[in-house]
Amino acid sequence: MSYGAHLGYVCQFVSLSEPVPEFAPTVLGQLVDAARLTSGSLEPADEAIADGTRSLSWASYVDQVARLAGSLVAIGVKPGDRVAVRLAKSVDSFVAVHAILRAGGVMVPLDPASPSELSAAVVQDAAAEVLITDAKAPVIAAIAEAAPVRSVVVLGNIGSDVAASLPSVRILAGPEAFETPPGRLVHVDDSAPAYIIYTSGSTGRPKGIVHSHRSALAYAATAADVYGLHRRDRLANIAGLHFDQSTFELYAAPLAGSAVVVVPDPVLRFPASATALLESSRATVVYTVPSLLRQLSIRGALGERDLSRVRWVLFGGEAFPPGQLAELMGQLPAARFSNVYGPAEVNQCTFHHVPQPPDRDVPIGRAWPGAAIEVVDADDLAAAVPAGRPGILMVRSETLMSEYWNRPDLTAASIVERSGPRGGAERWFVTGDLVVERESGDLEFLGRVDNQVKVRGQRVELEAIDVALGDIEEVRTGIAVIGRTPTGDSAVVAVVVPASEQDERTSGDLGKSIMRQLAQRLPRVAVPVDVVVVSELPRTGTGKIDRTAAALLLDS
Amino acid sequence: MTVQSADGAKGSAFDDAEFSTRLITFIASEVAMSDDEIVADTDLLLTGLVDSLGVVMIVDWIENDVGVTIDPADVVLENFQTVAAMVAYVGTR
Repeated sequence: MSYGAHLGYVCQFVSLSEPVPEFAPTVLGQLVDAARLTSGSLEPADEAIADGTRSLSWASYVDQVARLAGSLVAIGVKPGDRVAVRLAKSVDSFVAVHAILRAGGVMVPLDPASPSELSAAVVQDAAAEVLITDAKAPVIAAIAEAAPVRSVVVLGNIGSDVAASLPSVRILAGPEAFETPPGRLVHVDDSAPAYIIYTSGSTGRPKGIVHSHRSALAYAATAADVYGLHRRDRLANIAGLHFDQSTFELYAAPLAGSAVVVVPDPVLRFPASATALLESSRATVVYTVPSLLRQLSIRGALGERDLSRVRWVLFGGEAFPPGQLAELMGQLPAARFSNVYGPAEVNQCTFHHVPQPPDRDVPIGRAWPGAAIEVVDADDLAAAVPAGRPGILMVRSETLMSEYWNRPDLTAASIVERSGPRGGAERWFVTGDLVVERESGDLEFLGRVDNQVKVRGQRVELEAIDVALGDIEEVRTGIAVIGRTPTGDSAVVAVVVPASEQDERTSGDLGKSIMRQLAQRLPRVAVPVDVVVVSELPRTGTGKIDRTAAALLLDS
Repeated sequence: MTVQSADGAKGSAFDDAEFSTRLITFIASEVAMSDDEIVADTDLLLTGLVDSLGVVMIVDWIENDVGVTIDPADVVLENFQTVAAMVAYVGTR
């Protein structure tokens, strides 16, 4: 079923309560656009987006997006140009994304909590010449110096000290960026890149997942359809722009005309503050990772909040221990709960609605509309395995990425072409996830074929951390393993042999020095929360460091 | 300097300035994500100096040090944004 048919279905669903003109966008720039205000597809005075401090009506949102888009075109952004965004979660972050798309650019989100060195590596890999940011001057300077950035749009703060330190870079400050007359929508082909989500490669070199307007809208339409999004919905935005869960709020919300309530990062660090914001902002749909939901459950003072308006809780990115999920379901009896599975390369491909508080692991479910899945033999991808036998999950979907940015080698290794039933070529993505099909027909997630793990729902490549450890002077050899934080979440722990036996610092101080150095280089979720110092690392029979045995050292 | 609260909540033995100094030392050495200087009104959250695990560590440390139990509903941004805010919150306990 084409995504256009999905959209027709969405429009029919919404028309049960209020008639809405048919809206069938082909590019993302059409989502937050004046044409929808005049056609009645969006109600100009309704709240479109809020972040606890600011809020915009659809009319204001459309206007702000169009003006910032006009500024981007005025500073030279051409269709297909990559524009990097490093912004704290806020109304501005959403305006920036939609402005880039309206200008025909390709959005490249950067994690605002990551070291500037890492942002610079991403900006360089994407060859982004324009950066939109609210970061401090030293961070901007570090990124602009290491990468081909020629223009920076500085939101939030006035950029005078930034301008002084970067004479060869054009700086456009916030207020000015929004004074440009509204720019027109720059049309691009629906197969053109819309955004690139970067994830760590196994060697530490970042790799970019390229989604086109077509794959993004296929995801948005299917999500709006499956979760019944409508104009009275208010979607909480918890994921940062660099985490692909945010595509639900970025694209599915405006497609359905739903409002977005952004939960800023400082608020998220206080579960009791986050639940207070969800209550006061009248959120109706919440999509995030199990570890954050767990924090809301145990530290969010849910007993003192009225979250009866939350009609659906979606969780994904990592497993949700059944006892913890059951506890949260008891605390939010008015909500449906669903497990959402899908690598960032396809956004989402399965879902499982949890019918009652579970007493065993929750499956990842079945293929959602528009996706086909197959479980194949790890040694022979052409051989399907029967139900009950583990295998690698392969996915065919309209939501599949175009490619890994500038990495034809990785793209060819991950996407298998097969001839379809009507003779055309079908692209199947090899996920690297091990699954098994249960008797019920639901799929269960078993693990990975490689050393990729999840921390707070986000990918971490343990081998990339090994490489970073190897570059640290104080470390002779080191390996990254998974342990648990005092709050019960998965986190990285480094097990190391010091370079010098005579290191006079305590192992505590050595550990802190190692963690600080890694924090300068790795994504935040990959930075070890602890360092265990040993005199030697366990080895396998072939002499390689034995990661599994090293992980067991954590218990001693 | 001693604190005399109207209802004598903690008694006159509690020294705000001394507590503030020890709390800053704890945060700087055990919690902070970078070496930036911390003073009583440093915004710990907007600067990214303290992450969610750090908040838990600070709450645990205060509970052990002062000998109080902090209600989870009180662990909100307003009470923990700066060391000064934390000292003021503890002053009400």
